[in-house]
Amino acid sequence: MKPTHFSIWIIFLLLIALASCGPETIIDLGNESFTLLDTDSTEVQFPNDYKGKTTVISFIYTHCPDVCPAITANMKNIQEELEDTTDIRFVELTFDPERDTPSALAKYKKLYDLNDQFSLLTGSSSEIDSLLNRLNIVAQKTQIDSLQQDSSDYFMNHSNTIYLMDKQGRIRTEYPANVVPPEHVSEDLQKIH
Amino acid sequence: MNSSRLILLTGLVVVGISACISNESTEEQHEEGIFGKVELSDGWVRPGSEGGMSAAYLTINNGTASGDTLESISSNIAEKAELHESYKGENGIIGMRPASQPVISSGEKLHMSPGRLHIMLHDLNKDLSIGDSVDITMTFSRVNTQSIRLPVKSQH
Repeated sequence: MKPTHFSIWIIFLLLIALASCGPETIIDLGNESFTLLDTDSTEVQFPNDYKGKTTVISFIYTHCPDVCPAITANMKNIQEELEDTTDIRFVELTFDPERDTPSALAKYKKLYDLNDQFSLLTGSSSEIDSLLNRLNIVAQKTQIDSLQQDSSDYFMNHSNTIYLMDKQGRIRTEYPANVVPPEHVSEDLQKIH
Repeated sequence: MNSSRLILLTGLVVVGISACISNESTEEQHEEGIFGKVELSDGWVRPGSEGGMSAAYLTINNGTASGDTLESISSNIAEKAELHESYKGENGIIGMRPASQPVISSGEKLHMSPGRLHIMLHDLNKDLSIGDSVDITMTFSRVNTQSIRLPVKSQH
């Protein structure tokens, strides 16, 4: 093989290798475990129970009337964009474990007609806080002026994030949750799936 | 000038003055009355659970000659209905806050949409499922109340 042909071949192989790598790891949860609750109150070990699957993760709370349902709608759009959803799971983690009990999340899941590929997860406040911190997700309670009489009536300022987690429990990429075009996420899913 | 001509002339003058007064009165009505309409359209409501929250979206079109202010909102399915806006703060953090009473200029539209301006429906008095309908009533400072019935739909 001539030197120039050899160089082209090497560059070609490098390009293939780079393309197959996909995005870098943002957060590695591979050696960590958080105990959460599913909508039927069964315990879930996160992310262990999702290892071997590629997981689309978003964050919501059920008292959120505007943006969170838009995030959920986008999660469904991502699911519908995929031709094959084998070994792909969709997780929505609550920002608000105080009010989002398993039954509250079950209602939300039914309301938005989410199928069994979706898990809506809650847990103890401390466990949820630990996981959100680990994932760099912000969630802060805020009182709305006209509702201040009742301290249980609050909204939350929160991150607007969808993550893709690979089969080893590594967060590989993130998106603005309520506006990312579903086809962008589905393309990236192919790369890391 | 004989008396019959004088009477005729006087009559014409009286009719003319009356016509002028009548015309001025009509112009006053035109200034005080409201022509054109404030219309509500393109609306829908998210599903929701009894005791929980939902959001409604619609467009207000001010087709009158003057600006008008949206003063309050009510609904048959919620304890309280308020205009709120979602906004993006520092580091992309999403928040929500009450919106001040908007003034809609003559000929302008106010659009509500997910992630922006919306009507927050607080403390629903029943479950809202796809296919249900919701009445929204808006009170404006000039045209008083306008109502619309909106379908409950899912967002795509």
